[in-house]
Amino acid sequence: MEIKGSVALVTGGGNGIGEAVVKHLAKAGAKVAVVDMVQKNIDRVVKDIKAMGGEAVGIQANVTSEADTARYIKGTLEAFGQLNIAVSCAGIIRDGTMLSLDKETGKVSKKLGLDKWQAVIDTNLTGTFLTMRDAAEAMVNGGWPGLLVPISSVNKVGQVGQINYSSAKVADALMPKIIVGEFLMRGIRNIRCVAIAPGYTATPMLTGMNQDALKAILEDVHLGRLVAPEEIASLISYCVENEALNATTIEITGGLCYPRGIAK
Amino acid sequence: MPSLLYNDMQFSVDPSGDRWDITYNLPNGTSALAAAGLFPGLAEADAAIRALALVKTIFPVGIKSVGPDVTHPNRIGDLKIVGPDVTHPNFIYWDKDSVSSPKTL
Repeated sequence: MEIKGSVALVTGGGNGIGEAVVKHLAKAGAKVAVVDMVQKNIDRVVKDIKAMGGEAVGIQANVTSEADTARYIKGTLEAFGQLNIAVSCAGIIRDGTMLSLDKETGKVSKKLGLDKWQAVIDTNLTGTFLTMRDAAEAMVNGGWPGLLVPISSVNKVGQVGQINYSSAKVADALMPKIIVGEFLMRGIRNIRCVAIAPGYTATPMLTGMNQDALKAILEDVHLGRLVAPEEIASLISYCVENEALNATTIEITGGLCYPRGIAK
Repeated sequence: MPSLLYNDMQFSVDPSGDRWDITYNLPNGTSALAAAGLFPGLAEADAAIRALALVKTIFPVGIKSVGPDVTHPNRIGDLKIVGPDVTHPNFIYWDKDSVSSPKTL
């Protein structure tokens, strides 16, 4: 599928990886819908794309809302008349161990709250499902060639302190196999699905963290630096253009290893 | 360049080559781009109609209450503790125009 002339929708498109994906695709000639929770981020990205000579529409929405999802799909179709690429970058973290112990008694002093569990599952899993489902619906009904891109994470293998995040991201990583299998079963041949699992990426969340902690993280990365959001965007562009990539999850980590050098 | 008033928001549809940009006024007196490079080749009147339909989708009329997510409380015994860090937009939509919105352009 050619990027030029296609229409892409990116949730979480107002910053981080999502912003890089939106700008990369717009630069390559795609028309883009920038979906985000924060209106001022949307305004900034749409303005940047206009300055690049691109075509964009900004839609403020919450990906956990079924009504909002229907609205940003509809808005994209009203603006550009079709939809070809849907990238689900919107995500949050609410880290914490499942149990915390009292140092003196050794008894459980605190449990990970359902609020922290549910908020991450709602955004990172349900939000991705809703975007993939409704984007696929539009692509099937419109008969347009399409690519669905759930964003997983290298922490799908299981990261301590992130039982909520890792659970959502491993489920996101499973989506391509299931979705494409169902497409085959239903005779839907015009849509592919490829998930991307980034490693530690140079988003504002990571670059703004404690620099000593960041240095410790990078000791486990063979590349020796954080993955740039633009490198992830470039991989997604490649997935758009290479139609043999399908029903799989691709990791892009710079070679993230466990301390003894075993690739994660 | 057509100007639209919808849901007490002021929009303008501005030509950009053979395409159209939609800008809207912000409360601080500045403006922001809602969309850029749309509706190639459309005449001004047609672009204005398409723009109104689009802004009605992007900025739906309704009430947004942002607060604790009461459906997912953290339970400790009989206590229900609702995390303050959960944003739970509860958006109520309806199709009717606001009193300030024109029925037609």
